Amino acid sequence: MSLRLDWSVLWSGQTGGWLLQGLLVTLELSALGWALALALGTLAGALRTLERAPLRAVAAAYVEFFRNVPLLVWMFFWYFGVPPFLPETVRRWLFAHGAEFWAAAVALGVYHGARMAEVIRSGIRAIPRTQFEAAAALGLSTAQVYRLVIVPVALRLIVPPGTSEALNLLKNSSVALTISVAELTFQTRQIETYTARALEALTAGTLIYLGLCLGVSRLMAAVERRVAIPGLIARAGLEAG
Amino acid sequence: MHRVLALLLLAALALAPTAPAWAETTLEKIARTGVLTIGTRTGSPPFAFINRNNEWVGFSIDLVEQAVKPAIERKLGRPIRVEKKESTPPTRIPLLQSNAVDLIAGTMTHTRSRAEQVDFSITFFVTGAQFLVKKGSPIRGIQDIAGKRIAAQQGSTNARIIRERVPAAQLREFPDQPAAFQALVQGQVDAYTNDGVQLAGLIAKAPNPGEWQIVGDFYSYEPYGMAMRKNESDFRHLVNVGLMEAIESGKYFELYDKWFGPKGEVPYPLTPEVRRFLQMQVVPR
Repeated sequence: MSLRLDWSVLWSGQTGGWLLQGLLVTLELSALGWALALALGTLAGALRTLERAPLRAVAAAYVEFFRNVPLLVWMFFWYFGVPPFLPETVRRWLFAHGAEFWAAAVALGVYHGARMAEVIRSGIRAIPRTQFEAAAALGLSTAQVYRLVIVPVALRLIVPPGTSEALNLLKNSSVALTISVAELTFQTRQIETYTARALEALTAGTLIYLGLCLGVSRLMAAVERRVAIPGLIARAGLEAG
Repeated sequence: MHRVLALLLLAALALAPTAPAWAETTLEKIARTGVLTIGTRTGSPPFAFINRNNEWVGFSIDLVEQAVKPAIERKLGRPIRVEKKESTPPTRIPLLQSNAVDLIAGTMTHTRSRAEQVDFSITFFVTGAQFLVKKGSPIRGIQDIAGKRIAAQQGSTNARIIRERVPAAQLREFPDQPAAFQALVQGQVDAYTNDGVQLAGLIAKAPNPGEWQIVGDFYSYEPYGMAMRKNESDFRHLVNVGLMEAIESGKYFELYDKWFGPKGEVPYPLTPEVRRFLQMQVVPR
């Protein structure tokens, strides 16, 4: 027996359109999830470095609770677990307006936010103590110190691990298919249903994810070059030059 | 970076499976190893599922053990063992093609497009798609689903038919049955569509069977077959002989009664038409 591959299934008929639709949903889901993850991660990461213990405890509880439960469980939690507690009208509205998509975006954002918090916390810890003191000496309040000085610097420091996290989020968005979000992996399975050609569809999906991730990491490498702070982060290129 | 990308693409293409070099047929493999590996389901009662005693059982598995296996043993002149692996709609064809399993015996509908990839045995079960709804739902069949949220199992033929026949229905496709049913229980969707017999299986296992109702005429025809690698007519013939002998001897109907009879896991009476159809597939000795 032999395995005959027919790559034309990927562009004949509707399959090309499906892949494109899936790609769009993946991008939307990831962008939304990433915005949420960055916001939650920055907040929780900053809180974890404060001197006030109750705030630190709240942030630590968030991080440990959300990053130590599998993402799949969170998907089910936000899709099946939360709606029964919402008011009837909100629930009806949500079910009629793509509840699965919002549940998936929140699941991704909250889960990766917990992981991002640790990345941002390391970024803040890497900033010399003197910066805090200098900012305070200018008469800034703690909130202002963080908002105007520390967090902007920390975000510039954590571009490389932050990129890893963003790539993880992008790939993890495929878990959303378990709650019926028609993203990229879902569409590759769809093609399999229609054409019975699983290997071709899976290969297409793999290559699209690979391309997306390579694109993101390239973009982030450019960002990293632009925002690098001389003296705080040593870049091989700068050292050699 | 472009060079890296090109290299990765090349590597991916090179690693993509091409024609395997071995020429061993499925029958030769079974004769050598003494093992028939089947791909089957774990959550599709009563065809193939894990029961309360944590045993992997079902109608499809019984057919392999009691109809197909004896036919192969007789041909090979040696006892063989049946080994089970899990297969789902998206994985079952790749599992066959990669030689991970030799036979798919679960709930696979024989379709013409699938038959371009794999070969099918004679039909061993006949059902059709219907809808599962809460009692009192306005949905009475496929004519009522436009604009409604309908859950379906991904990779099934039903979702495909709905997409083509009622594009206005809002399909929500779930990879497995429990998640789709949960969405129905909570009201995320208005109905769940699947093969009638699978819906009957779901109701039988639900906590409150009285709350649910199967509605609508069959809007699809779902003949289940066992699938195997393409172009191995000797192996396919043996599978068919096993199934035909079981229908001829009445063994098939005994098993049917065990799983689908009034006291079975999922009561689903055999209609006279289907009984006749099964018998007419049996060609003379």
